[in-house]
Order: sequence, then C-alpha cells, then structure tokens
Amino acid sequence: MATPAADADFKTKLQTWVPKLVLSPSLALMLVFVYGFILFSVYLSFTDSRILPSYGWVGFENYDKLFRLRHWDIAVNNLIVFAALYIIICSVIGLMLAIFLDQKIRGESVLRPIFLYPMALSFIVTGTAWKWFLDPGIGLEHTMHLWGWESFHFDWIKNRDYAIYTVVLAAVWQSSGFVMAMFLAGLRGIDNEMLKAAQMDGATNFQLYHRIIIPQLRPAFLSAFVILSHLAIKSYDLVVALTGGGPGRATEVPATFMYSYTFTRNQMGIGASSSVIMLMTIVAIMVPYLYSELREKN
Amino acid sequence: MSFLTIDNATKSYGSVEVLHRVDIDVQEGEFLVLVGPSGCGKSTLLNMIAGLEDITSGTISIKGKSMNGVHPSNRDIAMVFQSYALYPNMSVAKNITFGLEMHKVPKAERETALRDVAKLLQIEPLLDRKPGQLSGGQRQRVAMGRALVRNPDVFLFDEPLSNLDAKLRVDMRTEIKKLHQKLGTTIVYVTHDQIEAMTLSTRIAVMNGGFIQQLGTPKEIYDTPANLFVATFMGSPSMNLIPVKILEENGGLVAETTNGLGETIKLPFAAPPTGLKDYVGRTITLGLRAEALTDPDGADSKAVNLVTVKNRVIVMEPAGSDTFVMTEFGGQDCNARMRADVQVAPGEDVDFTINMDKVVAFDPETEDRIV
Amino acid sequence: MSAGSTDTAVRTGRITRTALYLVLLLFALFYLLPFAIMVINSVKPLTEITGGNMMALPQDWTFDPWVKAWATAQIGVDPTGLKPYFWNSIKMVVPAVAISTILGALNGYVLTKWRFKYDTLIFGFMLFACFIPFQIVLIPMARILGLAGLAGSTPGLVLVHVVYGLGFTTLYFKNYYQVFPTELVRAAQIDGAGFFRIFWRLLLPSSGPIIVVSVIWQFTNIWNDFLFGASFADFDSQPMTVALNNLVQSSTGVKEYNVHFAGAILAALPTLLVYIVAGRYFVRGLMAGSVKG
Repeated sequence: MATPAADADFKTKLQTWVPKLVLSPSLALMLVFVYGFILFSVYLSFTDSRILPSYGWVGFENYDKLFRLRHWDIAVNNLIVFAALYIIICSVIGLMLAIFLDQKIRGESVLRPIFLYPMALSFIVTGTAWKWFLDPGIGLEHTMHLWGWESFHFDWIKNRDYAIYTVVLAAVWQSSGFVMAMFLAGLRGIDNEMLKAAQMDGATNFQLYHRIIIPQLRPAFLSAFVILSHLAIKSYDLVVALTGGGPGRATEVPATFMYSYTFTRNQMGIGASSSVIMLMTIVAIMVPYLYSELREKN
Repeated sequence: MSFLTIDNATKSYGSVEVLHRVDIDVQEGEFLVLVGPSGCGKSTLLNMIAGLEDITSGTISIKGKSMNGVHPSNRDIAMVFQSYALYPNMSVAKNITFGLEMHKVPKAERETALRDVAKLLQIEPLLDRKPGQLSGGQRQRVAMGRALVRNPDVFLFDEPLSNLDAKLRVDMRTEIKKLHQKLGTTIVYVTHDQIEAMTLSTRIAVMNGGFIQQLGTPKEIYDTPANLFVATFMGSPSMNLIPVKILEENGGLVAETTNGLGETIKLPFAAPPTGLKDYVGRTITLGLRAEALTDPDGADSKAVNLVTVKNRVIVMEPAGSDTFVMTEFGGQDCNARMRADVQVAPGEDVDFTINMDKVVAFDPETEDRIV
Repeated sequence: MSAGSTDTAVRTGRITRTALYLVLLLFALFYLLPFAIMVINSVKPLTEITGGNMMALPQDWTFDPWVKAWATAQIGVDPTGLKPYFWNSIKMVVPAVAISTILGALNGYVLTKWRFKYDTLIFGFMLFACFIPFQIVLIPMARILGLAGLAGSTPGLVLVHVVYGLGFTTLYFKNYYQVFPTELVRAAQIDGAGFFRIFWRLLLPSSGPIIVVSVIWQFTNIWNDFLFGASFADFDSQPMTVALNNLVQSSTGVKEYNVHFAGAILAALPTLLVYIVAGRYFVRGLMAGSVKG
C-alpha cells in the first residue's frame, strides 16, 4: 500500500505509520551493529591501532603488511584447501546419501536423524571428540595397535602437512548430513510422473539421475555451496577446539589469524584489515546470491 | 443522486497507469458486475472501492460521501473474497461476528445478528466448526454470512465462485441471485466468467486494459456490443466475425462476402445503422451470433429478415440441447447453432439461415461498432 | 517434502539394494562412532582410557567424571565445574531467543503484509547481516559494549545474539507469512481490525510451527556459539562452550579425558535434546537457512 491521500482519516494514516515504526528498531540495530560496525572496522584497518583503536591514518600500510606476512599466507592457503575440500566432499557425500535414502530405504526415519545430528552439536564439542579420536597416542591408532594391527599409522593431527585435512574430516562429519537433508528435500520435490515418463523413454537408472534428476537439483547445489562456503570462511570454533591452529601454524585460518592479531598480538590495525578481506570474500559470494534470490521473489 | 459513484478514478503504480479514468454510477439495489480478462483492472477497481488500495486520482463516493482516504472498515462495505478468507483459527460463528466485535457491537446484538444470518443461509449446524472442516460450498456460505451480518451499504464480491466445481458454481450463482432479489442490496461483483456476468447482473461493465469497454444491461452488452473486444469476450461461442464489403444496391445496403464453396453471396441489410452509409465500397467486420446463424427450420420465427444461403459443413459438434456446426464465411470459421437433431454431416453442403435483424457491423480499424 | 510420492520411479535390483544398505550403514557408523566413543569413555576411569582400548566397554563403570565435570573440575581459576557456566548459558540463551523471535515475527509480518517502498531492500540488508563474518564486528562491538557498560556481562551477550540472529528470525517469519493469505488480512481490515489486532488474532494463532523453528534455530546457534562468548564474556558470564574449551585446553595437570568427555556431552545435551524432541522442525530450520525455505 502506497501513501494515502492527504485527506485520509486518522485510522488510515496511523496504519501506514505503525508498520514502519514496528520495523524501525530492528532496522536501527542492523544499521548500527552491522553496517556501522563494518564501516568502523574498515576505518580501523587504515589506522595505526595497536592494543586499542587509535586514529592515526596510515593508508594501506596494514594491508601491505598483511600481504607480506607469511602467517597470513598460510592462513589463506589453508582456507582455500579447507573450503574446497569441505564443500566438495560434503556435496558428494550429501548427494550420495540423499540419493541412496531416496530408494524407499527401510529404516530411513532412523538413518536420517543419525546422519544429521552432528549439526546440532557445537563445533567445540565436535572438536573435542575428534581431537582425541585422532590422537595417535590414545585414539584410533592406539586402538588399532591394541587390536594387533601394529603397522597402522594415522597421525595426521600431529603432522604439519596433513593436520588441515583433519579439520576437513571433522567439518565434513558435522555438516554433510545437513547437505544430505537439503538434497533429499530437493529429490522429494521432483515430479515422479516425469521420472516415469523418462523410464518409458528408456532411460536407465544412471541416466535418470545423471540427465534428469541431478540437473534439477541445481538450486539445492547453489544453496549448499553458499552456506558451506560461508561456514568455511567463518570457521573459527572448530580450528580452536581441534588443533588450536597448530601444530605450529599448520592449521591457522583467517578467522584464527584475525583473532590472534587483534586480541593477543595487539596488532589491531592488521587484524581489522584481515577481517575486511574476509568480509569482501563473503560479499563476493553472498551478494549475487541474495540479489538473485530476492529478485526472483518479486 | 446515485448510491455509489466512481468519478474519474485512475490508479497508477509508479509511472504505470493500470486504470484509466473510470466513471460508473451505481444505483441503490443495483447488481453491477465488472467482467474482463485477468489483468484488466477489475479487481483493482474493486479493491479501490473497498479501500484496500488507494485511489491515484478521482473520487469514489458512497451515498454522496467521498471515501478517499477512509479506512476500509469505516466505509460501510463488506467483501466476499475469492479464497473466502475465513479466519482459520476461529469458529464459523466467530468468523461471522468478528467484524461486529471490532465495531464494538454489544454481544447480545451480535448473537441476534448471527442467528438471523445463519438462518438465512442455512448454516446453523455449522456455527461451531472451524473453516478447515467445511466443504467449499459451506465456506462460500460462511463468507457471505460474514458480509451479510454487517448489513453494509455495498457488498463487494471478488470472484467468489471461481474456487467451486462446475455444478456447485451454478447452484451458488442462483443462491446469490435469490439473495439479491430478497434483500435488495447494492452489489459490485467481479468475475472473469461472462456467463456469471450475464446471469447475475442488472448491469455489466466490461473491462479490458484498464478501460471500461462498455457499461450496460446484459442485453445491451450481448446484442449491441460497443466494439470487437466486447463482442468476442461476451457470449459463448463467441460472436462470428466475417469480413464483408458494403455495397449499395436498389437503394439499400448489402454486405458481400464468400461462402465455403467459393461463391460470392450478398446479404441485404434490413435496417442498417445510419453510419454504415459512409462505408460503401469498403470492407467492414460483420458480427453474427451463433444463434443468428441456423438451419432454416431452427430460425427465430419472430425474425423479419432471414437470408438463406448454401454452405459447406466443416465440423459438427452435438452439444445435447443444440448442435454446433462450423462453416466458413469470407474465409473465417463461423459457428452456427442448429437444432439438436438436425441431420448434417461434415463435407456436406446444406442451407444456413442468417437472421439479419441481429447482425452488427464494426469498423475494422477502430474496432468500434458502427452506429 | 511431498507426502504423496511413496512409489519411486527408480527401481533397483537385489545386489544394488544390498550395496545401498551397506553404504548407508557404514555412514551411520561414521556419524555415530565419535560421539558413541565419547559417551563410553566418559564412564570409564582414566586408567582404562590411557591404558586400554577406546572401543572397549568400561570394566569399571563410574559416574565420577560426570560429577566432576559438572561440579568440581578446575575451570579458569576456581574448581567450580561446568555448573555455573551452564546457568550462564541459560541466562543468555533464554532472553536472546525470546527477543529475537518476537522481533523477527513482527518484522516478517510487516515485510509481507504491510509492504511499502524499498521493503525488499531493507529485507536484503537484514538478510545480509546473517552472513557477514563476525570478525568484522568484533573490534567495534567490544568498544560499544565497553562504552555502554555491558562489557563482560550477560545482557551484553544477549544484545549481541539478538542483533546477529535477527536476520534469520526475520527470514523465517517472512517466508512463513508470505504464504499466509493476504486476503485474510484484507478481510480483517474490512472487519475493522488494526495492525496489532490482525497480528495477534490472525497470524500469531497459526504461527506455531514457525515459532518452533525459529526458537530451535536460535537456541542451537546461541547455545553453540563460541566466538562471541570467547570475545565478550567475563568469568562470571562465560557460556558453556567457552568453559568447555577452557576445561579441555587447560595445560595444567593430568589430562582427564573422561572428565572432558562428560563435559562435552553436558555441553551438547541441551541442543541434542531439542534435536531429539523436535528434530522435524530442526531440519526445517536448516532448510529455511537456505533463504527460500
């Protein structure tokens, strides 16, 4: 409803203002705490802030330093490896489980919650469980040795070159069930009569999935990609709980980098600039997605 | 002074004008139907009368009082919606009396009003049920009850029958007509169904593209459509349109065209519209209803000017009460309405009788009827 | 999920089906194992863990680790166990969930039934806030909480969680109310009901499912949050997740794994419980997280 005529009665006038008034506190909170804060952080990233915010303008110096830091290099590389593997493996496992579950499986109602429950856990809990499970001295390796498989060797969590893959493993464990649920919903939404028609046309099961069903899951793929990539970039808790960024700096990611530079190393300017880079990455992924979603709706 | 006046009403969304300068006067007790294809602006106009959408310019007044800017609940109107819009969490009784409650009508009065309406619509046994437990027809009644109980100046109906199945729709149509005759209320009714429009209304406004194409009684609309749009939109099967050339012969006007056999035929006008003289020598569009194109035995016995011509049957469709026969005039397919047990077969050449009393002529360029 | 399509068009042979079940069971094992082992080992004495097989059932059943994790374990400076932190979490979660859900419901109502110019843009701004990396707001938030005198306090954390949960709750209610018939609202307007009355009498009574979805989502997210808790909480307001991390990471003394496990399960229990009781809604919440809902 647009603006009322000038001679509108009181009730009509009131009704055009009340909704806006109701929305305004939320909007104000958002403007200050999200957009205002983003501006403030961006501003700080151009200052010489150390332990506390200070307002000496240093231009791009922080970014310059940031990109020269080996520590940041490691964090970015780790994030790329982590995000790529996390998204791909979650999608593959999620799609596979969804397709399998969609074959009129007996006990689906038991299996589905089992696949999904890790999503209800905190990353800290997940980290605690996997940290120990993967600990060679006491977890899986130790148990295998006790069972007589002496040559079994699995110490990735202690190994600089492989530790990041344990983060992937734990993260996949936590999120793949969720991707499964998204794909399953997509599969259940596909018109069964169309599949029957395709079978009449002589399509095999594989062709059915490859040519007809999976292409129609495009929206689910897109949603999964967006959500997983955003979880990956924000990942902080899991790394802290599982490896603490170690061994050494082997599993540092931008989220842990930002936290340690800002709050423990007192390099707030650099910390702020790293958070700006993180935001820009998310913006590059989210804005086109949200734009297309919202435009479609109207 | 009229009861409901729509004066020069326009509606724009941004820079797009969707309703252009609409003028309608509705008298008290009238049943006005707004009919047209989807997107013609009929629902927008109804919502503007209801106050659910504001008016961009012009005025809508009820009983001489401008309603511009008046809140819907203060306009003394009631509305029946396409989806019925029954409140799912309230019982039927609550649904009906909710509006009275909002207007602070005392409980005792509400009860009386509820009983009266329930009795009128025969929904007394349903009062304690929830809308989800009702059938389509019952919901429809409750929705009407909710409107009736308010005893408003004007009733607004927004395609109220379109969610019902075919049989129920006919029953409810009769029901609404009975109610109108009994209560004598003023009704504005929106539909895209031209049969509903014809059967229910005292007057019809045919709309298209945000314009009122024609405003008139059902008979006026049917017999003398203002333009080609009204001619084709109203009536089923829709009016046959034949390109003809106007000639002057023996002091009278004649329409010349061809039949399906490739022969030239001439159809003399009995009482041509005065404007037709200007079209001599030009091609116009001749409008012919299916019931004005019959077998010789089926022709209207009261008709004065009948012309019989031979033509070829393309398709025949027995419809029970009538048989529709398709043939061709001037290269256009034409529907003829013949008696139910007429003996014709596709490919056969038979006599067709044209009732020239009923033909209408249209200017092919302006698409308006020639008067 | 469509209920009617029980007959799948895809037919599978016997061997394929056996393979299907095998794979599905293997994955079930994969998802269950870490947590199951944690449960088993939380009721073992420490010696059985360090010396023995993690898969083995306990020879000596003991609930001491649970008692210790809850009441006496050394966390931070005091041997308080997780108990006070559990209550910290409750004191933070309950108001944050309630406020963000109420605001989200009102926002969703306005954005679908009382539309105005630029409302989609405003919604877009709110929605985007769900997805920002929270690192970008950490520094200014710490400043503002300090200036407002809320630093290190539970009300401060409530504020933080309300603000950053609002986008999601608004999204849920908007998607839900989008399919609520607008004609009903119009009918109620003609009947003379105003903004709040329509909300209270019409929309709210049929909002049960989405309220559950929103509450579960917010509860899970806020309960499981670590970053904000670690950044903005003091010892007397630290939530469960932060306390658990402190317990597990503490470098002093012997690592009491069984106590860690009991603590981890305690921290997971509320969300797991919600998941078991209302799993259906939990899935719906996750789905709605993919914007379309």
